[in-house]
Amino acid sequence: MASVSFKDITKSFKDTPVLKGVSLDIEDHEFMVIVGPSGCGKTTLLRMLAGLEEVSSGEITIGGARVDGLPPSRREIAMVFQDYALYPHMTVEENMSFSLRLRKFPPAEIASRVAEAAGILQLGDLLKRMPRQLSGGQRQRVAIGRAIVRKPKVFLFDEPLSNLDAKLREEMRVEISKLYRRLNATILYVTHDQVEAMTLATRIAVMDRGVIQQVGAPMEVYRRPRNMFVAGFIGSPAMNLLPGRLSVSGGGVVFGNGSMELALPRGLLPEQEARDGREVVLGVRPENVAVESPAGDGLSDELKGELEARELLGHRENLYVKAGGTRLLAAMDRFFDRAPGSAVGLRLNYRDMHVFDKAGGLRLSA
Amino acid sequence: MHDGKRARGMKGTARNLLIHLAVIAAAFVCVYPLLRMFSVSLRPGDKLFSADLSLIPAGASFRAYSDLLRDTMFLRWLWNSLVITTATSFMGVSLASTAAYAFSRFRFPGRRSGMLLLLASQMIPAGMLILPLFLMIMKMGLMNTYLGMIIAYSVSSLPFSIWILKGYYDTIPRSLEEAALVDGTSRVGAFWRVVLPLSTPALSIAFLFNFTAAWNEYLVARVVLFSAKQYTWTLGLFELQGQYITQWGMFAAGSMLVTLPVLAVFLYSSKWLISGLTLGGIKG
Repeated sequence: MASVSFKDITKSFKDTPVLKGVSLDIEDHEFMVIVGPSGCGKTTLLRMLAGLEEVSSGEITIGGARVDGLPPSRREIAMVFQDYALYPHMTVEENMSFSLRLRKFPPAEIASRVAEAAGILQLGDLLKRMPRQLSGGQRQRVAIGRAIVRKPKVFLFDEPLSNLDAKLREEMRVEISKLYRRLNATILYVTHDQVEAMTLATRIAVMDRGVIQQVGAPMEVYRRPRNMFVAGFIGSPAMNLLPGRLSVSGGGVVFGNGSMELALPRGLLPEQEARDGREVVLGVRPENVAVESPAGDGLSDELKGELEARELLGHRENLYVKAGGTRLLAAMDRFFDRAPGSAVGLRLNYRDMHVFDKAGGLRLSA
Repeated sequence: MHDGKRARGMKGTARNLLIHLAVIAAAFVCVYPLLRMFSVSLRPGDKLFSADLSLIPAGASFRAYSDLLRDTMFLRWLWNSLVITTATSFMGVSLASTAAYAFSRFRFPGRRSGMLLLLASQMIPAGMLILPLFLMIMKMGLMNTYLGMIIAYSVSSLPFSIWILKGYYDTIPRSLEEAALVDGTSRVGAFWRVVLPLSTPALSIAFLFNFTAAWNEYLVARVVLFSAKQYTWTLGLFELQGQYITQWGMFAAGSMLVTLPVLAVFLYSSKWLISGLTLGGIKG
């Protein structure tokens, strides 16, 4: 296993910049997930590490050795592709042993490595099958098996679960998580699904428009998003982002947007950031919007709203509430038996409230 | 509802019947000349021009076959054709497979216009190319040689083969080659170990096309080859056509014999052709 480092990576396709100076360090044995919307450059970054895409400028090292410029075969990486990329004319066994046969490993060693990987992934019965005879989930496991037998320095996963149905995706997520604990490998995993990122990663790198927006442990990124993009992207359902203006009078800071006024508690904003008239965006996660809740410590004054729509998900319910001109999403962990159109009272939880600068999008709150 | 089902059933049967009739008629049109030829090849010398339509004529014999093999250089001509055709097919397919790969996978100036040019070259009638081909082969000093014929033939079927193969390569996901690169092959290795094996259906179509085109070719051979020893069977058979007498029996016998190699190649490659239809599902 080895560490990976990207230094000031840029990449342009013709005149379109795709990566604008990306630097990222992945430590040895770390499971790093790069997450971002499609077109953010995450797959390009992964393919550069694999050697399938050239770097316009910058440096990539694996285990301290510079690899950009080396062909893929000499980078000691293994990759799981989005469409699995199993060789259709080879059996499962031949698919898995292909790289070892290329490297002229002794047959006994090849057999034992394939058997070991097949054991881990429960592929023992499928070794003689052709890829077209396998289900999506089985193909996925073969693709992972093909990577495991290599014992590479770094594993690369390119949206490996996006072709699976929801149930299988959950199962494979758990499988990959178990596999990581077992192999204790360095993994770079690319996805657009923030649930995968949150559940699998030791650290997440959130990317948008060719720039890394934030790197950190999943809970750190969730609790303290560095900017408005990360706040909106990480977390499901997405965070409520309410644009408005601060007014400072005396010692108190009030957030207002025409349809509601909230007195922000001391300590939420550093004093130098709380300027009168400053345009800000208030971020509140749906689970931090309390519905029909009595006044309590850390809760805002009650906002009057009207229930617009509700989504019952079984284990919880999403409520879409309109308070004045502001729409808010509240996630409840119990069944809220109220018809759309009825009046509801909302209180926002100050403890997990975020304030962002509207112009730059950067986080202002502590 | 029951009646409706029956009506649909009847309609289906009628349709099947019509389709079968059409197919049988088409098959008959294809096979009939062959049968006539077979019949002629069996006729005794004095019945060649009889209007008898029976498949096996009275007094049928293989005399024309034995005469052909004994009295003419037919076997030599057949051998010449076989050498030229096989070499042409292998050379044509190997050149086309690599050229098509470049057209399919790389972006380079002239890629689109190159493909169009290849297509356009197919629009030129073969007769127009005879003179330039003749001049080129003469300049190269390859008149009356196998090599001259092989070059002329493989070059002329190249555009078609490239189009067929390029179209097929385009359907093979790039990720397969990328997986091979990551697994440790070079670019050439990925082509050789992944792309080519997956392209057998298209390769066999190209091979078959090269083979039949070269096997049946007459015009170029007429121009390039001038000694009877070097003749291909197409030239050789026309030798049997004299000014005053044409050996129709031998001609027919020869025609029957030359269909055999093409038939063999077709039957052999048909399993690849059919596997091409079922290969599908390369992706998930």
